[in-house]
Amino acid sequence: MDAVLSCSGVTRAYRRPGMEPVVAVRDVHLRVEAGEFLAIQGPSGSGKTTLLGLMAGLELADEGDVWMLGHDASRMSSTERARLRRSRMGLVFQSFGLVASLTAIDNVALPLTLSDVEPADRRSRAANAMAEVGLDGMEDARIDEMSGGQRQRLGVARALVGEPVLILGDEPTGSLDDESAQTVLALLERTARARHASLVLVTHDPVSAARADRRLWMRDGRVAEKPI
Amino acid sequence: MFLERHALRLIMREPRRSLAVGAGVILAAALMATVLLFGSASGSTLTRRALADVPVDAQAVSSVGSDPQVAAAQIASDPAVTAALPVDIVHFATAVLDKAGSATQTSVGLLVGIDDNYAQQTGLFTTAEGTRSPGKIAMSRDLATNLGAIPGDSVTFTLPGGRSLKLEVSGIADITGGDLVLGPTDAAHRASGANPPTNVAIIDRASLDQQVLPLVPAGAVAQDPATTGGSGSAPVSTPIAAVDRQVHLRYDLAQVPGDPVAAQTWLDQVRRRIERSAAGAFSIVDDAIAALEPVAGDLLWGQVLFLFLALPGIALAVAVSRLAADATSDATRRHLALLRARGARRSQLARILLEATVGISFVSAIVGAVLGVAVGWLRFGAELASADPVGSTVRAVIVSVAVVTALGAVAAGVVLRDQLREEVATGRQELQRTTPPLWQRLFLDVAALVAAVLVFAITGGTALKPIFTAEGNATVTLALTSFVAPFLFWTGSTLLLLRLAMRWLQRGTGLRRGLERLFGGGGLVAAGSLSARAPAGARAVVVLSLAVSLASSVLIFDATYGAQQVVDAELTLGGDLKVVPSTPTAALPAVQAVSGPEVALATPFVDRIVYVGSEAQDLLGIDPNTLPGVAHLSDSFFDHQSASAAIDVLTSQPDAILVSSETAHDYSIVMGDTLNIRVPDANGNLTVVQFHMAGIALEFPTAPKDAFLVANQSYVAQQTGNDRISFVLARSSGDPVAAAAALQQRVGQDWAVASLATVTARLANGITSVDLAALVQIEVAFAVLIAALGTALFLLASLTERRRELATLKAIGAEPAHMRRAMAAETLVIGLAGTLTGLVVGGLLGFAFLQILAGVFDPPAEFPVVPFLGLAGLIGAVTLALVLATAIANGAVARLQVVAALRER
Repeated sequence: MDAVLSCSGVTRAYRRPGMEPVVAVRDVHLRVEAGEFLAIQGPSGSGKTTLLGLMAGLELADEGDVWMLGHDASRMSSTERARLRRSRMGLVFQSFGLVASLTAIDNVALPLTLSDVEPADRRSRAANAMAEVGLDGMEDARIDEMSGGQRQRLGVARALVGEPVLILGDEPTGSLDDESAQTVLALLERTARARHASLVLVTHDPVSAARADRRLWMRDGRVAEKPI
Repeated sequence: MFLERHALRLIMREPRRSLAVGAGVILAAALMATVLLFGSASGSTLTRRALADVPVDAQAVSSVGSDPQVAAAQIASDPAVTAALPVDIVHFATAVLDKAGSATQTSVGLLVGIDDNYAQQTGLFTTAEGTRSPGKIAMSRDLATNLGAIPGDSVTFTLPGGRSLKLEVSGIADITGGDLVLGPTDAAHRASGANPPTNVAIIDRASLDQQVLPLVPAGAVAQDPATTGGSGSAPVSTPIAAVDRQVHLRYDLAQVPGDPVAAQTWLDQVRRRIERSAAGAFSIVDDAIAALEPVAGDLLWGQVLFLFLALPGIALAVAVSRLAADATSDATRRHLALLRARGARRSQLARILLEATVGISFVSAIVGAVLGVAVGWLRFGAELASADPVGSTVRAVIVSVAVVTALGAVAAGVVLRDQLREEVATGRQELQRTTPPLWQRLFLDVAALVAAVLVFAITGGTALKPIFTAEGNATVTLALTSFVAPFLFWTGSTLLLLRLAMRWLQRGTGLRRGLERLFGGGGLVAAGSLSARAPAGARAVVVLSLAVSLASSVLIFDATYGAQQVVDAELTLGGDLKVVPSTPTAALPAVQAVSGPEVALATPFVDRIVYVGSEAQDLLGIDPNTLPGVAHLSDSFFDHQSASAAIDVLTSQPDAILVSSETAHDYSIVMGDTLNIRVPDANGNLTVVQFHMAGIALEFPTAPKDAFLVANQSYVAQQTGNDRISFVLARSSGDPVAAAAALQQRVGQDWAVASLATVTARLANGITSVDLAALVQIEVAFAVLIAALGTALFLLASLTERRRELATLKAIGAEPAHMRRAMAAETLVIGLAGTLTGLVVGGLLGFAFLQILAGVFDPPAEFPVVPFLGLAGLIGAVTLALVLATAIANGAVARLQVVAALRER
């Protein structure tokens, strides 16, 4: 299988004046194959979110290489990385990451809007994505009128609307009750598999991680094939 | 001490918050301190202006038996005295002109004996017509008119004691400005506002002493010439000595302190010093002090006006503190949560917040006041140096620190109170109002605007009215009630704007579509953000709008004020330039001498005293072909005809004459009537010249004070054989001041060249002598700073509140350009809404300010002057400020740590 994402010897540390550097990710090597569902499991503070940020090109590694969909992240400008995220990746966040001032459909259509897709086309595609996650009929709903589960489904719809080949989820069920969490997780898995998209999930929840094709464990910035 | 320590920690550990909150307070204190110093500097300007108008600073009145010559020498030795000029005054009981078999008599008056250098030293009693010759008199215009006397006639004066003498008339004297020195010198008469005599004859002092004084018996008492018309006050029964021997003094004005009160003290000290040295030989009557008395009042009212003009700026700067508190609410919440976690009670949190806020406001106010003092001294240092520099500086610092600390603490305190409620109650990110604020529900904005219109209609809008003191000094009275209408208008329009801006942003009508079309996805995000944060956005629009309205209103006010000063000056001078030949010169050579590269057009002008019946009037001889190109001729100058029609008649009909309405009325003259007027020829002999009445002139360039006539200069010259002109009026090719300097150099120092600038300075009286341009520049600069700071704080507050939202946008693929466009879109909406409404409100406020000062303009300005260049500069400066503010916000967005922000709860 082809790797859609790979990390090789990746290290990321945070530095503050007068303080010792905090190494969040340490010498990480991993590959994500096309269509693979990978879960990275670990406790809070283990470096999962930082690693996801590196894989999404939101941050750059201090050491090592991150290849995103065939591109070396360190050689890309921030604009190029943003375009890549927008066109070929989908991100789902624990806190939903919705823009409260926009309607539901505008939130879903946001990546298309940023790509200057025609209003009619983007509304149609966003409506389809909403229907896919079971939110049809709620196009013009306000975010503060929606439940947590609905908001996260909306987040998933936004991640799917650009037809991504790689979906990254940062604790996507962390803010949901068990029932909603299972619904959203199933939705993510189903839609990713239906599109042959790779799905990378970072989570502290073993139940969620158990659904993945492959699991990695993370502690103190290090990644292992087995629980550390 | 425990709580104080925590308050100090809150200030020190959140420097971003402390600096942002303090910035508005710094601006407010700086503006207030600068304006207060401007007020003090204005005191110096007013004092200098008032003293410059006084021809004689003091009159030393000799006691009976003392020698005026000795007194003059003694007084001249005082270090404050630059000139001691002996003047002898003899009251006469009657003056009679016996001519052609009939006698004309007037009532009481004065024979004034002066030396040759008196007119040069004081500017008083210059010869308007004819000459002054030893042993002969130059009559005041009133005396000449009352008697029907002309140069060459002889007038018989009856003196106290009954003796009389006959004196020949050699000319007409201008006694303008001589009221104080001709009026009674005793306190009782002065306090009653007694009118000075108008029947005055000027004679050389040696002749008066030799020919007149011996005829007046010692101890003779005159009939009081002043009791006949004392401004409605009761007559004063104090007897007047028939002979009054005085020494008129000029002081070294460079020694006089700038502060009007200190200047009065200084003058009083000089008076006492001179009187002490004379040991009773004479007493000093202080005319300069009398001129300064209205200045202190003028200054006080002026300072009220200046503070009123600056009030919106001070309020705005304080309002910026509120935006700052909004912008840094995250830091405050963080600190409060920490204290709460450590067990702090709500009352303790409130006290810590209060102490921290007052502390920041106090320190910032001190910094601002020091900055304001620095700006004030840089800008008005010269005036301040002579106007109680230490006292005025200390006062400015104390007042601005006290007022602005209180205002800043209240403004920031309101936000902190809300934050405290939030922290304790729910910890929500944003306090959402469910109901509109009380003022909106009560429609206080509309009520204030309606009240403003009503108050304006009732008070007439004019706050400053020129009046004259008992001594005849012009001063202004200022009705504080007249500030009520502009204040209500400002308050009402501010609140209404806030209401409308909030509603517009909340509904976002057209905003979303327009911004998306202009800025793509960034525009859509901006529209959503503006709609979601409508209250904060509306506050930013209002701050910017009021900053622009403040700047544009003072710019419009200043432009109108300046234009009106030029109109007044043009009317008084007659044109851009006025050139008086050193010797009698004919029209053509005079115009040729003046014509040159710096002069676009020149026209001859004659101002000659002529006689309509027995009445002396000014005949203005003009060239109707060239005068309209040089002087401003308004239609309002003429009765029932336009300016061009009046000039056309003079052009087509050489013997046409325009008369004043009084003359037309008194002599029952109508259009086409023949007028026979006696006009002096080249030798001063009167020649009868026939004119035909062609219209009524109400006002005319050179602003003649007395009754006047306007005729063709060439026709008068042809009829009298006298083609000498009085002066040449000219329009400059460029700047009148530069043209005047070049022209002066070309025609030589013997010719007197005056420009508009000279006249503007001379016309300035009381409060109008203050250079408002300096205040305007300072207010515009502060307004631009406030606009920049307000917008930057709004954008930063927006970033603070939307950190996760912005991080999400970046995470899902928003490029840096998208983020920049979103920021630019928000700035554009705030900037356009604030600037456009600000210009409208500023225009209306400018008009309101103009109404406040309408009383000091004559004629008052009818419409505000719009300074397009100044407003373009203002818009440019505000745009630059907004671009900088946006750049700061973009920098913050670029530095946003996406992963960290997404992790925040």
